[in-house]
Amino acid sequence: MEKRYWRSLAERENPAEFARAAEEEFPQNPLEQIEVSGGWDRRGFLKAAGFGFAASALAGCSRAPVEKALPYLNQPEYRVAGRATYYASTCGACPAGCGLLAKVIDGRPIKLEGNPEQAISRGATCAAGQASLLGLYDGLRLKQPLAAGRASTWAEVDAAILASLEKIRRSGGAVRYLSETITSPTKLAWVERFLGQFRDARHVVYDPLSASAILDAHEKTHGARLLPHYLFAKADVIASFEADFLGTWISPVEFARDYASRRAPSGRSWHAQFEGRLSLTGTKADRRVRVEPAEIPARLRQLAERIAAGDGRGDEVAERLLAARGRSLVVCGANDLEAQLWTNEINARLGNYGATLDLERPSRQRQGNDRELGKLLEELKAGQVAALFVDGVNPAAELPAGAEVGRAGLVVSFAGSLDESAERAHFVCPDHHYLETWADAEPVAGLVSLTQPAIRPLGATRAVIESLAAWCGKPGKAYDLLKESWQSRIFPRQKKETSFQVFWDRSVEAGLAEVEAAPAAHRPAGEVFRKEQPEAAQPETAGYALVLYPSVAMLDGRHAYNPWLHELPDPVTKVTWDNCASISPATAAALGVKDGDIVRVEAGTAIELPAVVQPGQHDRVIAVALGYGRKASERFAKLGPQWIDSRPSVNEQGRVGVSAAGLLGWEGGLLRYTRGAAKITRTGRRTELAITQTYGTLSVPKQLAPADGEVRPIVQETTPEELAKPAEPEEKHEELWPEDHPYTGHRWGMAVDLNACTGCSACVTACQAENNIPVVGKDEVRRHREMHWIRIDRYYSGPPEEVAVAHQPMMCQQCDHAPCETVCPVLATVHSSEGLNQQVYNRCVGTRYCENNCPYKTRRFNWFNYPREDRLANLALNPNVTVRSRGVMEKCTFCVQRIQEAKIEAKRVGEPVRDGEIRTACEQACPAGAIVFGDLNDANSRVARLARDARQYRVLEEINTGPAVHYLKIVRNREGGDQKNG
Amino acid sequence: MRSRVVTIVLGVAVAFSVLLLGTRAAIFHLPGNQQGYEPAQPIAYSHRLHAGELQIQCLYCHFGAARSRYAGIPPASVCMNCHRFVTSSLGAVRAEDELAAKEKRPPRPVVSPELQKLYNALGLDAAMRPDPQRSPQPIAWTRIHRLPDFVYFDHRAHVGAGVACQQCHGPVESMERVRQVADLSMGWCVNCHREANRTGIAGRRVNAPVDCSVCHF
Repeated sequence: MEKRYWRSLAERENPAEFARAAEEEFPQNPLEQIEVSGGWDRRGFLKAAGFGFAASALAGCSRAPVEKALPYLNQPEYRVAGRATYYASTCGACPAGCGLLAKVIDGRPIKLEGNPEQAISRGATCAAGQASLLGLYDGLRLKQPLAAGRASTWAEVDAAILASLEKIRRSGGAVRYLSETITSPTKLAWVERFLGQFRDARHVVYDPLSASAILDAHEKTHGARLLPHYLFAKADVIASFEADFLGTWISPVEFARDYASRRAPSGRSWHAQFEGRLSLTGTKADRRVRVEPAEIPARLRQLAERIAAGDGRGDEVAERLLAARGRSLVVCGANDLEAQLWTNEINARLGNYGATLDLERPSRQRQGNDRELGKLLEELKAGQVAALFVDGVNPAAELPAGAEVGRAGLVVSFAGSLDESAERAHFVCPDHHYLETWADAEPVAGLVSLTQPAIRPLGATRAVIESLAAWCGKPGKAYDLLKESWQSRIFPRQKKETSFQVFWDRSVEAGLAEVEAAPAAHRPAGEVFRKEQPEAAQPETAGYALVLYPSVAMLDGRHAYNPWLHELPDPVTKVTWDNCASISPATAAALGVKDGDIVRVEAGTAIELPAVVQPGQHDRVIAVALGYGRKASERFAKLGPQWIDSRPSVNEQGRVGVSAAGLLGWEGGLLRYTRGAAKITRTGRRTELAITQTYGTLSVPKQLAPADGEVRPIVQETTPEELAKPAEPEEKHEELWPEDHPYTGHRWGMAVDLNACTGCSACVTACQAENNIPVVGKDEVRRHREMHWIRIDRYYSGPPEEVAVAHQPMMCQQCDHAPCETVCPVLATVHSSEGLNQQVYNRCVGTRYCENNCPYKTRRFNWFNYPREDRLANLALNPNVTVRSRGVMEKCTFCVQRIQEAKIEAKRVGEPVRDGEIRTACEQACPAGAIVFGDLNDANSRVARLARDARQYRVLEEINTGPAVHYLKIVRNREGGDQKNG
Repeated sequence: MRSRVVTIVLGVAVAFSVLLLGTRAAIFHLPGNQQGYEPAQPIAYSHRLHAGELQIQCLYCHFGAARSRYAGIPPASVCMNCHRFVTSSLGAVRAEDELAAKEKRPPRPVVSPELQKLYNALGLDAAMRPDPQRSPQPIAWTRIHRLPDFVYFDHRAHVGAGVACQQCHGPVESMERVRQVADLSMGWCVNCHREANRTGIAGRRVNAPVDCSVCHF
């Protein structure tokens, strides 16, 4: 039987009703919304007024306003107006430390791209990394230091802080430096030096998304508190327990790239995911097992025993792991020491240490120590801390008892904006944005990545190391401090260069230096770690299990200021502008809860937030995303078009989403992201969620459906066995159109590998940044008016409990026989000689016929002049792409500005455009390498080869639109969508 | 009733526009057409002298045209390549020399008032050294050739293809003050592209595309 795909439970239950709704042009009837007043109808008025306005406008304008052009007095030699310069740097959006190339035009960074030379990013980025550009031009950033909440100067603040510190030094009071994981060797040295001035000083590191248990477990099993460097590219068999390594866990860009490199049909890895909620990683698993979080240690113990027995005892996962000794990898995302100890034991027994887990050159991306954090919070509570420095974290918003930070005698925050913790600080010494500063990072031992400024600081901010140096009595500029530090620390660790200046220049140019790392001291994993392990306590059976997870966009909440990330649909739930309590369909039915019903979730404390029904989730699990309900999101109260019918993007509390930090637990000195015995009750209230996946259905209209019933699924799948069979020759469709438009030069096309795509949505944000795509706000998303040129359609198949998921990036297909072109009455959308379907904004009069006739639903209409009033945020606009105004249709252009740039530059240097030279923004950002752009007329190009691949198909090919986007089928290692609950 | 309202609205609009158009008929252009625009500039720089008489290459000053989308207005430092030494016209220097010989005194340095504006902008003193008393101020030229924001014209492609600057900018080398010669309308661009595809440029075949997305994106 043909496999059926569905995108929401409503569609699954009532396909006929859904299909009918898809036929309708408008979600609501527009005529019903207009009140007719007086004797004038809308048309009559417009007819009369239109001519009058046009005539007076024509008469009124004859000359454009005078415009001044101010050239440089002395032009920097590398800067030519209008030409982009790229600066190699390091992403500061999370501690993963991906390498970046910051694209700077006319002095301002306008786009971030991955640095292909750097081993963590290898040219890719994640959605949050892409969006962090907006953080540079953020109006909430502080422009000067604050003393007692009032604007001050650095001299005043320094004098006051030094006076307090002097008192503390004399009295011997406790000084605590609370930071997130710092991978920068230079900053670590300065923190140490600064704290060295005091008798009782400690550097406390914590991660809002803690991996403390992994480090603690390695301390027990390997004698050193280390985080292994996970090498997914070398793993043939992967078993992941609650680790969302493709979405948010430790270093998702690196892991996604490594993982995707092993998912092609040949040499394919096998991946099992054990989890309670449906994570991004779970959607890609070959086998997904729903487990309650409390069961995880027991599951791992069981697996360890089966591995120890050496034959797997009929367990598929154990058998596969045993067959791939030294080529397998077991990871666990639970911050639970017992689970992590079992994980270590399994990996050690399988001989994976040294093969797929590197402890010699460990990762430094998570260094947090929850026990230390707990101790600090106790000290704060008891009023024993004389001075507290808060750097890069926001404990007041991230921790259940984080408000205690205000109880130290002196609180100094380095936050760039006035967040929940900085509000409680006596002094705020704002750090630069990472694009304004000199810094370094060592995400993995031996890989030192440099951060160099792409713009001068926009405000009177100061790098943290400059502040620390000033308070050590050695004031200096970050550049000098960094260079000094590299001369003494990094330069001696390499042997290639003999001159420091040459080494430094090369490192700055490349954005990184690969140096030696002394093998981290640890003892080899011994025998069985825990022979006498008491039987795990039975998981509590009362109530639900609560899972608090970082969402792909918000992570720990540090990006809550960022409108791009709020408007990015969650890759799985497809909810924007909210965090929800996800519950399984069975549980929702039992509770009588539907999407958007506000529920009360109680575990210790209680929060009220909308529910969303999530297929594939464990029936006894409630999942809530962290990082929402932040103070920074209060700015969105007036976001989006303000008109008579608009509703705000924030909730009743004035914020986006609800903070779930209060529900975090402490257990055994570790932050726990899962809780047992949670309660969920209906409140009886409802809210309308802004979900993007329930409309814009791709389907063949009835009148076009072929009589023989040949309708192909939008998402297509295959199996390794099927691929091995020789391909049947494709039937040529009868051509209705005359073939009188040959492409003699280029024919631009794209290939999208659905098997590689993880749905991480980096492409969506990259496109938003590149193409000046406006943010429309929650209410407009509810009206199906989001503006993303590329979206990722998420399809389910199989029963709601055990869904198989497919992610399908969908953008304008640049059809050969584009249905939009034939219906435009003003020729605003026409075909180019290189196969592009061009949208001419200035011709468009906004009939929206094209949008209605597009079978792929990829066209976007500007219903409003979306606000561009924030002059600072406007600096992030790409000057090479027109900002569209109201009443104009727009859609993916295949980044034609990049095509033009490459073609003209190739002409200038007198060479043909080489394959791979033009990379669209989505392709450039994709960590999985799922998107390939190129010239289909060049038989040797990557895209032309993929278009001949056995897995190739085109969406809705049967209606003969001739799309230029070729999709590669998903390869499933399992039968249909079936998964056994094993 | 309704038709009478429509008639009144239309009548008022027609009367209004005829009145406005009539008074401005002499300078009437379609909106956006700046043909013939010849504004005064902050420094009375003469293209006739530099490009015509002295035959300085266009690309010497407008070096961006070969490398970038924008030809660019030269930075003041480019002017200083010559005007560090040439501070006035030859005639003025000779006149001073003659006067000095007549009055039997060493000739005084002559600085033309227009070049003084350049030195002021750079904040230089009489000895051409940066003067700490003066802060450098960029020169605010009045832009003449301007395309709307939704047009992405690229100088590189045209200079590379061998299109003469004069083809679009007119005989700049004979202009004392630069004037916009072409109307810079889309029809004018497209006609030239079609023509170039037919006849080539300087005997070479060229591919001058006429797709919308070549200039509009």
